[in-house]
Amino acid sequence: MNEKLLEVKDLVVQFRTDRGKVTAVNGVNFELYRGQTLGIVGESGSGKSVTALSVMRLIPNPPGEIARGEIFFRGQNLLHLPLDEMRRIRGNKIAMIFQEPMTSLNPVFTVGNQIEEVFALHQQEYSKAERRNQGIELLKMVGIPSPERRYLEYPHQMSGGMRQRVMIAMSLACRPDILIADEPSTALDVTIQAQILELMKKLQSDLGMAIIMITHDLGVVAETCDQVAVMYCGQMVEKANIKTVFSRPRHPYTKGLLESIPSYDSTKNKEKGRLPTIEGMVPSLFDLPTGCSFQDRCNFVTEDCRGRKGMPQLENLALGHEVSCFNPIVV
Amino acid sequence: MTEQVVQPLSNGKVSKDLNNRPILEVRNLVKSFPIRGGILGREVGAVKAVSDVSFTINRGETLGLVGESGCGKTTLGRSLLRLIEPTSGDVIFDGIDVTKLNPEDLREIRRRMQIIFQDPYASLNPRMTVGAILAEPLLIHNLCGDKESRLKRLFQLLDYVQMPKDTLNKYPHEFSGGQRQRICIARALAVEPDFIVCDEPVSALDVSVQAQVINLLMDLQKDLGLTFLFIAHDLKVVEFISNRVAVMYLGNVVEIAESKELYGACRHPYTKALFSAIPNPDPTAKTERIILEGDIPSPMNPPSGCHFHPRCWRATEECRKTYPGVTSSTATHQYRCYNSLQ
Repeated sequence: MNEKLLEVKDLVVQFRTDRGKVTAVNGVNFELYRGQTLGIVGESGSGKSVTALSVMRLIPNPPGEIARGEIFFRGQNLLHLPLDEMRRIRGNKIAMIFQEPMTSLNPVFTVGNQIEEVFALHQQEYSKAERRNQGIELLKMVGIPSPERRYLEYPHQMSGGMRQRVMIAMSLACRPDILIADEPSTALDVTIQAQILELMKKLQSDLGMAIIMITHDLGVVAETCDQVAVMYCGQMVEKANIKTVFSRPRHPYTKGLLESIPSYDSTKNKEKGRLPTIEGMVPSLFDLPTGCSFQDRCNFVTEDCRGRKGMPQLENLALGHEVSCFNPIVV
Repeated sequence: MTEQVVQPLSNGKVSKDLNNRPILEVRNLVKSFPIRGGILGREVGAVKAVSDVSFTINRGETLGLVGESGCGKTTLGRSLLRLIEPTSGDVIFDGIDVTKLNPEDLREIRRRMQIIFQDPYASLNPRMTVGAILAEPLLIHNLCGDKESRLKRLFQLLDYVQMPKDTLNKYPHEFSGGQRQRICIARALAVEPDFIVCDEPVSALDVSVQAQVINLLMDLQKDLGLTFLFIAHDLKVVEFISNRVAVMYLGNVVEIAESKELYGACRHPYTKALFSAIPNPDPTAKTERIILEGDIPSPMNPPSGCHFHPRCWRATEECRKTYPGVTSSTATHQYRCYNSLQ
């Protein structure tokens, strides 16, 4: 087995709001190994981005707060690190790219300037010329044509796909152990998305890093990930390797999510002329049902499910296939 | 609905069969936006957002329109309703040329042509109750004159989109994205239109909600006999909902065919690349992927000849010189390419 890079144990993140406390992430556990790609999927508000931000310790406090849990990076608990040590890890050992390449680059600095900032923070031994050469090298690595010229350009002179490449270049500047990609291709067109995903796969095999891929697109997960965790209302409801989840989902939510993709079972859907749906909508975090939070939308709900007070916990149903459901689908 | 009339793409001939007369015919539609420069703001050039597009839509049919951002699909959709004034070309709706109408007649025809926008957060006025939002089109078009019949109509509309009656007294911010999109659909239906332009109606929604709204649109189409132009960049959704699909690239329709035909046997290399770029939700399938190089060129300065040639792996000398004309492989399948696939 490869080296275990990250271990998140019983993570609980809460936000204080005018309407009281909400629990955005509620008892999340996962592990990440070198070279692995873990997909975290879920709808908006399911807590996937908050999970990622907690690993980086970027939850704005106040209003947010990591109420409970432990995050181990190579054996070191990140939550107990003093801020200046955390800063040495952030962007250096664990890097992150965000969804919006338009807003996450600074419009008043050149691209080169922004890449060099990473070196100024984490590689202070570099001379000015070294920084520049390394920066141009990075742009070359992410496949930007004529990198010397692009190095001096501002973000607005670039297309969305190019900007996302720059973001990737910046995040890889220090050869991180873990790259967290929060919806890296959502804002891009499909042909550009294909380019970016291909690039990430290639860089991963070249550099041997682990990736946490956060997305709502199950297609992207199927293409890029080894492991997948499905989140709903702040909980991981199903976790397994990718083939298992896509061919034999055991949690009703995962099954519903898969079936609502038009091409998942396209011949059957076309015949029937409609798509299978998950009824209703994601409940508000202020107003979650007691017990299983999916019970009101579930097609497999039983009286027993409704009667239970506690939340279902992730349980190992088969080797490496964890599901949190009182009444998992039998396959 | 399934039987297709021969509909040549650009030679302007219309089928004489009245029963199968297309509800909408677009002929050589062009929309160019001026680029102004210098201190005097003089016109220094033009962006052809839509250049020479022709197609027809039959009654009760859904025509899907796909393409990447900036290809002109939204401009095309809006210029059909003259929300954007087309530069030249004709839009013939049920025998009437929309581009030649005076404002009064245009308002009347817009009763029959409606649009649903992409962002349900931006397209509903936050200061109006849902009741006021839904009643507005009725008041503008003098439908359901008295209060009682209007209220009855509003309840009927909510029923169409499966929303509870107390929705009328609430404000848009009280609803989720999917519910807001239902309200937008109800608003479009208020004036009993024949034709609706759906401009990316589900792209802002979560996957599970997306499926609900798609089903709703398809049910309404069946029940009310609507015709849709369905604009989207999500090819999976378009394949599912459309009878025919048109693919746009830099202002031109490069390929148009029946949905099955297009997804099974497309002719244009761009269509092929677009389809192969869709992430497949089946981890065991090994799809052959064509990854296009580079970005979409700027429409301000499109490449010579076929606009797609700098990214195309089949491009030849000819492609660089002149824009390819329309080729028909079957009665319902047209494309613009010199070196088509198969």
